Amino acid sequence: MSDFSEELVRPTTEDEQGETCVLSGTGMCFPWLQKHIETVATGGKREKDFAQTTSACLSFIQEALLKHQWQQAAEYMHSYLQILEDSDSNKRQGAPEIIWRLGSEILYYHPKSSLETFNTFADRMKNIGVMNYLKISLQHALYLLHHGLLEDANRNLSQAETWRYGEKSSSKEVLINLIQAYKGLLQYYTWSKKKMELSQLDEDDYAYNTASQNMLNHSWKTSINLCALIQIPGVWDPFVKSYVEMLEFYGDQDGAREVLTNYAYDEKFPSNPNAHIYLYGFLKRERAPREKLISVLKILYQIVPSHKLMLEFHRLLRKSEKEEHHKLGLEVLFGVLDFAGCTKNITAWKYLAKYLRQTLMGSHLAWVQEEWNSRKNWWPRFHFSYFWAKSDWKDDKTLACEKALVAGILLGKGCRYFRYVKKQDHQVLQKKIKQMKKSVKKYSIVNPGL
Amino acid sequence: MDFPSSLPPSLFMTGPLGLSDVPDVSFMCSWRDALTLPESPPQASENGAPHLAKGLLWEPDTPGPLPLLPPGPDPWDPGLTARDLLFRGGYHFRRQPRAVLDVTEQLSQFLWDHGDIAFAPLGKLMLENFKLEGAQSRSKKKTVVSVKRLLQDLGGHQPWGCPWAYLSYRQRRFSILGGPVLATSLARLLGELLHEELAARWEQLLLDDTFTGGALAWVPGRMPGAGQLVYPAGGALDRLYFQKVSLTPGSEPRVLGDPGHIQLRGPVRQVVTRTVQGEGKAHRHLRPLLTDLLPDHNPDLLCPSALLAVRSDYHCALWKVGKPGQPAPLQVLQVEKGATGISLSPHLPGELTVCSRSGAVCLWNPQDGLRQVYKDPETLVFRDPSPWRWADFTAHPRVLTVGDRTGVKLVDTQGPPGCGLLLFRGGAEASCQKGERVLLTQYLGDCSPESLQPTFHLVCTQFSLYLVDERLPLVPLLKWNHGLSSTPVVAQLLPPPRPGCPRPLLLAGQAGELQLLHITGEGASTPRLAGPPQSLPSRSNSLSAFPLLEPKSQWRLQERLSAPTIGLAATVLPSASTPVLSLFQLSAAGDVFHQRLHLQADPRPDSPAPTASWTPRATSRCSRWLKTLLEVPLTPPMWAAPTFSHRRLLGSFESREVEGKVPEGLRTAMAEGRLLQHRDLGLLPTREQPPAPEPGPEDELSERLEAAWEGQVAAWWERRQGGSSGPGKQPKRHKRRTQLSSTFSSLSGRLDLSDATSPPRSPDRTVPEARPQPPVTPPSQELTQGPWAEGIPSERQQTLRDYMAELPLQGDTPGGASAPSSQTSSIRGTSSRQQTLRDCTVKLQLRGDTAGGASMPSSQTSSVRATLSRQQAAILSGSQPLRKKPRMGF
Repeated sequence: MSDFSEELVRPTTEDEQGETCVLSGTGMCFPWLQKHIETVATGGKREKDFAQTTSACLSFIQEALLKHQWQQAAEYMHSYLQILEDSDSNKRQGAPEIIWRLGSEILYYHPKSSLETFNTFADRMKNIGVMNYLKISLQHALYLLHHGLLEDANRNLSQAETWRYGEKSSSKEVLINLIQAYKGLLQYYTWSKKKMELSQLDEDDYAYNTASQNMLNHSWKTSINLCALIQIPGVWDPFVKSYVEMLEFYGDQDGAREVLTNYAYDEKFPSNPNAHIYLYGFLKRERAPREKLISVLKILYQIVPSHKLMLEFHRLLRKSEKEEHHKLGLEVLFGVLDFAGCTKNITAWKYLAKYLRQTLMGSHLAWVQEEWNSRKNWWPRFHFSYFWAKSDWKDDKTLACEKALVAGILLGKGCRYFRYVKKQDHQVLQKKIKQMKKSVKKYSIVNPGL
Repeated sequence: MDFPSSLPPSLFMTGPLGLSDVPDVSFMCSWRDALTLPESPPQASENGAPHLAKGLLWEPDTPGPLPLLPPGPDPWDPGLTARDLLFRGGYHFRRQPRAVLDVTEQLSQFLWDHGDIAFAPLGKLMLENFKLEGAQSRSKKKTVVSVKRLLQDLGGHQPWGCPWAYLSYRQRRFSILGGPVLATSLARLLGELLHEELAARWEQLLLDDTFTGGALAWVPGRMPGAGQLVYPAGGALDRLYFQKVSLTPGSEPRVLGDPGHIQLRGPVRQVVTRTVQGEGKAHRHLRPLLTDLLPDHNPDLLCPSALLAVRSDYHCALWKVGKPGQPAPLQVLQVEKGATGISLSPHLPGELTVCSRSGAVCLWNPQDGLRQVYKDPETLVFRDPSPWRWADFTAHPRVLTVGDRTGVKLVDTQGPPGCGLLLFRGGAEASCQKGERVLLTQYLGDCSPESLQPTFHLVCTQFSLYLVDERLPLVPLLKWNHGLSSTPVVAQLLPPPRPGCPRPLLLAGQAGELQLLHITGEGASTPRLAGPPQSLPSRSNSLSAFPLLEPKSQWRLQERLSAPTIGLAATVLPSASTPVLSLFQLSAAGDVFHQRLHLQADPRPDSPAPTASWTPRATSRCSRWLKTLLEVPLTPPMWAAPTFSHRRLLGSFESREVEGKVPEGLRTAMAEGRLLQHRDLGLLPTREQPPAPEPGPEDELSERLEAAWEGQVAAWWERRQGGSSGPGKQPKRHKRRTQLSSTFSSLSGRLDLSDATSPPRSPDRTVPEARPQPPVTPPSQELTQGPWAEGIPSERQQTLRDYMAELPLQGDTPGGASAPSSQTSSIRGTSSRQQTLRDCTVKLQLRGDTAGGASMPSSQTSSVRATLSRQQAAILSGSQPLRKKPRMGF
């Protein structure tokens, strides 16, 4: 009782909300500070018994979860529910979220839990912590979606969408947008299913008309659902992708372009490589001019030089008439091969070998040297070591040949990689190796005089 | 490289930490993370079952890790704890616990222990006569003190450690007059420094970043399963050990031979290793420097050798561990401001990054030397006082990550200095909490891109773990609340145990907690947690494998087992049936523990996880380890026995020309400054011990406790084992028992005059001359002198005896005598020697009261008591090593 009256008198301040963590002088928060202080405490006012048991119970649940003892965790959870009656209003308010977080995890993994149990739990929790209604609804819908229950998920999301409580806040708005977007995504799923059916129907069929009519309705609803969310900065790949697909289907090319351009170029959005990839894909489908494609990929090149589209980019640049594009084409190839994940990309090596020859034939030695200068102190160890020669030859002989050619051109014929591959006797590749030797002799940048 | 074709939806907010109005759409829970959106309409999952490997579980073979190597010969001290630093008492529970540093106690401790340091400078300043501002009315004689005389008084006198040491009037006056002045000046000068030091120690206790990255490394050998453990050990962790270990999937690891070691000049903080595939010749091709140092002349270039980078506080060093096993030093680097992190390149052999507290990050190559690639004394995102910096590699060999407490940045070493993109930002972008800081970052790429793209970085804060793709900066692809109750120290990504399996990621907290996560994400799918994370047994879980000990040793063992984790190494052993994970842990005490885990073959959700139990082999291994541990001497206590000035007393002695053997012995002992012993005094040899206080044979418990208290319980046990069979001791004990029982019978109140040979003794009987004839025949005085005199230095005995001589005659009537004596004995019945002393005091007081102050003034009584209690303290501290006092390292 005394605690209760104390609660009434004392206004809850903002900084008292941190439960387990405490800020130190440096502004850092230490979740383990309480533990240290408890070792020192000798007397004085302690935490109430109730609070002690509930926090002990919480740690038991967490421990059981980490040991995958779902049964045990569920039993502890049963006891933990008493926290909902805590006299401390802060704890009481924070409790539903903790219960939902842990409880849903238990029910997700518990061997005896079923869909019904989960549904009941989620429905109960939505109404206990009113503040969490939207969040729980969304996660519940995802759970259903994951279990293949599209209808149920859709119904859930519709319910959540219309839910209103308290003041409007930006965080609630974002959540509602997210819920709508997921609903839109569900509608997209049904739509694309219909589209599949439609593609199997005959155009003159009577059923075709109704089906297409249906699809039209869907599309309209979906677009409303989806377009609100994708204005908010974030990563919305699945939504953007499906929205664009629908717009394209109905011939709204301009709309689709606008959505994608906005998604790729809006500065408030994180630099998402997929945004540029989607835009590129769209433009490619639209058969946009090469210049346009190159400009899109140029930005992607700056963000992710290791992307597999870079090889396509190189092809585009190679075909271009502009000299600067030719130079960029070389840069792109070198760029791809800089990355640890691309060292065995045979296409890239093939392109590089071919393009190096081509560039040197076109007497653009300066380009090659410019690229090589920044790499000459580490590429030999990174790509052309004796170890790699041996292991490449063992794993992939064609790759070894391509690399040897590049090594020969860049490092001269004294290079170990080149020498190793040259020495190898191979029936099938004999011709190739011979050709390689010739090219190296002719084009090697180390001693261009020869 | 493949990029995920569709990233999981996430909100992108910019702003500071703990922005309240952000809905947390990053689902911080393993199951929600598993719910990735289906790529296509989810027809495939219509069947209802989520296609997710639900229980990927590693089962430990034993309930806890086992010691792999015997404990080192150096004692280990757990160091400062919160108890030493914080104010005790007056604890008031609050939602935000507050730590209050206890400066006053530390200050008083310091003044006691280092009085010379604290007061000497001031004394030197005041060497000539000085005047203390006193009341005008006081005469000059009382306010002016000559320091010269004062120093003369103090000559050879070292009062610290002994509050009751002799003080002259002059000194007393000086301390009264000068106290306030000295106290304030000292408090002003020292208090601030002390507070600063305490605060620094407290910060270090809360967050110790010296061992970030881990100081244990596994260098795989030529054969699968064979390899070397590299770790620091020794009292100061300044010896780097190389221990060959052979692992087999079926059994515990075998330690091959004795470890080799290298003595270093500083403590080892971090050990990093990378296998270099046959780089000996490659180096030779480039530069002669490396190859000259390398012993690698093996024609088989595919033989693996490893590079070993070691970080100490102010030095970094690079070794090559070749096939012959002899590590060859390559280069040493001095870091003036202190190094905070070192990492070895996974791409280019021998390339390292070194970070310094000054905010500089250098790329270091034994051939090309050192190159500073980044320098910024300020932190990246917002201002944070920590000088901790970290650097690691990325998928591009020329791009590094540079991290501090506030974020992680990608820095191109070839570009203009200082530019780069932020990879991770402590802020709303990652929905960080208020007060969240980066504690550990690590590049998770290695040379097997099949299972996971080589572009991922791990960022750990005190709350969460983030997985970031360097191609998508600022947006974490995965966030999980790790819930560790200490600083995350090491993280290690392991190769998949089976092809197609998710990759295990180990995370170790400083307090010994271990967590295992599974990360999956092949090709074009986004990385996510496969199954719920798992916690692994920590070292303190092994306590049950050790035999039960007496409390003192048990505490020691417990303390040792809960020593902070400073290193972690793990390997997955390829095995036909079930993959086995071998896990090595290094503790701050230099202990290496090992744990084997195997992947549960077919996780059946319905069956409860079988619990591991200790095997006899494991427990015997633990017992052996424990035996060695208990043989290691404890750290000698920092407290030293007080020293007394004796020169002055010696002079006065000599002037008196007393004849006799006793004063002679005393004089020589004093002159030599050693302890006075019985033989010096030429006293009669001690007779057989009087019977009463000796515990009887039945009283094994107290005997054992006594032995345990002195830390010799094992010896006691052996003695007992041997003794019980030997016939020699039995009759004596028997005799004692009868004596004891007679003592008890005498306590029952009747006076049994016939039992005169062993009556209850009382200390007052030791008074030799002044004793009247008591009604009960006393034993001879030499006999009774034994017990109490034993613990007291002889000169004190003398004083005591003198005082006792002054006591009023006791026991006028037989009835009066029997009552107090029985009282005394009843106290003594429970006692040991120290108790006897106390009885003596009690008795003295008793006498004083009953006598009505007839012969002894009460002040004298108290002084006697003071002497006694001091002696008692000295005895107690002699027999029991005091707990190390908290004191600061000035």
